[in-house]
Amino acid sequence: MIELQQVCRSYGDKVAVANLNLRVAAGELYSMLGHNGAGKTTAIKLLVGLIRPTSGTIHVGGYDVVTQTREAAALIGYVPDQPFLYDKLSGREILQFVSRMYGMDGRQSARAIDREIERFELAEFADQLTETYSHGMKQRTVFASALLHAPRVLVVDEPMVGLDPHSIRLVKDLLKREVAGGMCVLMSTHTLTAAEEISHRVGIMNQGRLMFDGTVAELRGQFPGESRSLESMYLALTEADSNAPQAFSRRSSASIPAEEGLTR
Amino acid sequence: MTDMALTSTFAGLHDRYASSPALPTEDREAQLLWSLRYHVARTQLRQLMTTARLRTLLVAGLSLFFWMGLFLLFYEGFSFIVDNVGQPGGRYHAETVQFVFHLFFASLNVMLVFSSGIILYTGLYNSPETQYLLSLPMRPERIVLYKFQEAVFYSSWGFFLLASPIMIAYGIVAGAPWYYYFILAPLIVSFVYIPCGVGAICCLLVMHKLPHLRKLIVIVATLVLMVVAVPLVWRTVSSPQSKLFGVEWFQETLDRFSITQQEWLPSTWLTNGLLDAARLPHVVIEGDRVDWPVAKSIFNLTLLISNALFLHVLTVWAAKRWFRTSYANFATRRTPRRTVRPAYADRVVQAFLFPFPRPLRLLLTKDWQLLRRDPVQWSQFLIFFALLGLYFLNVDRFDNPQSDIDYVTWINMVSFLNLAVVGLILSTFTTRFIYPMISLEGHCFWILGLLPVERDTILWSKFWFASLGSWVPCAMLVLLSDMMLQVPLLVILVHQLTCVLLCLGLASIAVGFGAMMPNFRETSPSKIAAGFGGTLNLVLSALYIMAVVVLTALPCHFYLLASKGPWGTTFMNPQYLKMWLVAGTGAAIFVGAVATIVPLYRGLRAFRRLEFV
Repeated sequence: MIELQQVCRSYGDKVAVANLNLRVAAGELYSMLGHNGAGKTTAIKLLVGLIRPTSGTIHVGGYDVVTQTREAAALIGYVPDQPFLYDKLSGREILQFVSRMYGMDGRQSARAIDREIERFELAEFADQLTETYSHGMKQRTVFASALLHAPRVLVVDEPMVGLDPHSIRLVKDLLKREVAGGMCVLMSTHTLTAAEEISHRVGIMNQGRLMFDGTVAELRGQFPGESRSLESMYLALTEADSNAPQAFSRRSSASIPAEEGLTR
Repeated sequence: MTDMALTSTFAGLHDRYASSPALPTEDREAQLLWSLRYHVARTQLRQLMTTARLRTLLVAGLSLFFWMGLFLLFYEGFSFIVDNVGQPGGRYHAETVQFVFHLFFASLNVMLVFSSGIILYTGLYNSPETQYLLSLPMRPERIVLYKFQEAVFYSSWGFFLLASPIMIAYGIVAGAPWYYYFILAPLIVSFVYIPCGVGAICCLLVMHKLPHLRKLIVIVATLVLMVVAVPLVWRTVSSPQSKLFGVEWFQETLDRFSITQQEWLPSTWLTNGLLDAARLPHVVIEGDRVDWPVAKSIFNLTLLISNALFLHVLTVWAAKRWFRTSYANFATRRTPRRTVRPAYADRVVQAFLFPFPRPLRLLLTKDWQLLRRDPVQWSQFLIFFALLGLYFLNVDRFDNPQSDIDYVTWINMVSFLNLAVVGLILSTFTTRFIYPMISLEGHCFWILGLLPVERDTILWSKFWFASLGSWVPCAMLVLLSDMMLQVPLLVILVHQLTCVLLCLGLASIAVGFGAMMPNFRETSPSKIAAGFGGTLNLVLSALYIMAVVVLTALPCHFYLLASKGPWGTTFMNPQYLKMWLVAGTGAAIFVGAVATIVPLYRGLRAFRRLEFV
C-alpha cells in the first residue's frame, strides 16, 4: 500500500532522509521510532506529498505521490504532529468541509460525520468553535477528520503527545480496529510502549537512515540472551549508531527482502 | 518492483475506489473554499458584535469619519480646480485632474505589486493553513487562487478607502452622468487585479526559481525602487524656492512625473476611463475624428478587464506548475542557526543604564536584547521615523521674511503639528509594542515570577524601557524639525519639555493599561494590541497628545504673534501672554503628571494581584 524506494531529502546540506526504503502493506501497523530530528516527520511529509523527495520514488496505493498527488491524497488520512483547525469553525463545520473536499454528497457526508462524531465522542462539543477545544478535543477532531473519507492509508505523526490516558486508549483501540479492517497505518511515535503494544513492525530511524526495520521479536533477536524492553533496545541501538556510525552493522532496510513488507 | 507490477498489485484497490465519491471539480473546489471563507467571516463578525461591539463600532465610525473627511477634502480640491483652473471638458481642467489621477493611481500601482506579492508569500509559504490544504486532495492552483484572493483583499482595502471618496467627489464636482457611478466599481476592481496579479506571479516565480535568493531579490528590488524614487522625490522638494507653486514650478512638476502618464500603464487606462466616463455623453464629430466619451470609457474598461483576466490565467498557470515544488523547497530549506552573543550595542546600553539598580538594569537589558533581535519589532518604527526625518529635512520650504506675521504663524503651527505627529507615531508604537509586553510575559512568567525580584520592578522596567527608548529618537526628531524651521529658542525648549511629557505619559498609559488588561491567551502582539485594551490605549494616548500639545502650543502661538504682530490689545499684551505661556506649560505638566502617575499606579496595583496561568 505504501512504498518508498531510495528516497532522499535534504534540508540545504543537511540530509534529513537518506536512501529510505520502506513498504507497509494493507492491514499492517508500522511504527516509526527515532530521536527528535531523526527524519521521521520529514519521511511522513514526503509520504503525504507535502514535500518532495530530492531523489527516489514514493507510491501510495499505486499512485506516485509526486506526479499523482491528488489521487494519492484521496487515499490518505493524515494526522500531523501540529494539527491545524480553523479557530472560527465548529468541529462539525470542519468535518463538513473536509467531507465535501473528498467529494462526498450531502447524504454521504452527514452519515460519515455522524459516524465519526459517535466514534470519537465529539457530540458534546462538535457544535462549539474549535478555539475553545482542549488539546485532547482537538486531537480527536483531527482523527475524525482524517478518517471521515474511510482512507485506505492512515499516516499519524506523534498521536499520543499530550493526550490523557482515556484518549490514548481510544487512539490505540481505534488503530488496532482499523488495521484489523484492512487499513494500512504508518505511525511516528516516541511512546515506545504503545508502539510495542500495537505495531506489527517497527522502524528505527537515526540521522535520516532507517537503521532497523522489522518486528519487535526480530529486534529482540539482535540482543541474544537478554530480556530487554523495546525502550532499552531502542536506546542501545541508536546510541551505538550515533557513537560509531561506520561500525553499525544492524539489519538495515536495504537487507529486507522486497516482498517481505507486503506479505507480512 | 516495476511500475507495471505495482499497478497490477493495486488493481483491486483501484476497483474498490471506483465506487468511492469522485473528487470535486474545479468549480466545486472554489465553491467549497468560498463557503469556508463565508462561515469563518460570519463567525468572526458575530463574535465582534457580541464580544467587542464598542471597538467594532468605533472602528467603523472612525473609518466612516475618515472617508467623509477625505471626501470633503477632495470635493473642495476639485471645486477649487473647477473655479480656478477650468470647467470639466476644458484643456487645463483635464490636464490638472489627469495629473492628480495619474500620480495617485500610478503610485498605488507600484505599491499594490509589492504588497500583494508579500501578502501572498506570507499566506502561501508561511501559513499552517496552506500545509493543511495541501494535505487534502486539492488542486495546487486552487489553493494559490484562494490565498491570492485574500492577498488582493488585504492589499487593496486601503486603496478602496482612499480612491472611492476621490472618485465620487470628482463625479459630483464634474457633474458626471449616472453611469459614471456604475462604471466605478468594475474599473477599480479590474485595475486592482492587474498589479496584484503581477505581484502574485513575481512571488511564485521568485519562490520557484530563486528561493535561496529571495531576501536578496527583495533588497535589490527595494534598492532599485529607492534609486528611482528618491531622486524623483528629492528633485521635487529641492526645486528653487522662489518658484514654489508658480507656473514654472507647476509645469516642471508635470514634466517630472510624466512617467506616470505612459500609455501602457494600467493607471493610465483607469484615469482615462474615469475621466471619459465623467464627461457628458455627447458625440462630437470633427472631420474624421469622432469623440464619443462613453465608448472611450468602455474601451479602457475592456482594456483593464482583458489584462486582468490574462494575468489571472497566467497566475493559474504558474501556480499549477510551480507551487507544490516551490512549497516543498521552501519547507525543506536549511534555516541557519544563529549564534548570539552580547553585541557592542548591548554594552553601550548597559553603560547608559548604570544609575539604575542591578535587577532593573538586567530586566532593561533583557528587553533591549529581545527588541534588537526581532527586526519586526523595530523596523516599522524605524521606517516611520526615517520618513518623518526626510520630511523634516525638507520642511524649510518657506522662504519668506521673518517679519511676515502669516509666515510666523504658519511656522509655529507647523512646528507644533510636527510635534503632534511625532507623538501620534509614538502612540502607535507604544500601543503595538509596549502595551502587549505584560501579556506576552505571561507565557514565560515562570522565569520572572520565580526570580527574587519585586513584581513592581518588572513593571518599572517596562516603563523605563518604553519612556527612555522613545525619548531619544523623539527628542532628536523634534529638534531636527525645529532647527529646519528656525523657530525661536523658547519654542525649542517648550517642544523638548512637551516631548518628555509625551514619552513619560504614553509609556505609562501603555504599561499601566497593559498590566490592568492583560491577555494571556493570545501569543501574537498585534492581536493583543488590536483588542479592546489596545484600542482604548490608542484612543487615550491620542487624547493625551492632543491635550498636551494644545496646552503648550496655543499660549506659545499667541505669545509669538503678539511679539511679532502690529497690534497690542490687552489679551495680546506680551506681559499677559507670558503668564498664559507659563500657565499653559504648567497645565501641560499637570496633565502629563496625571497621565504618568495614575495609569502606572493602577497598573502596579493590578500587576501585584495578577495570577499567571
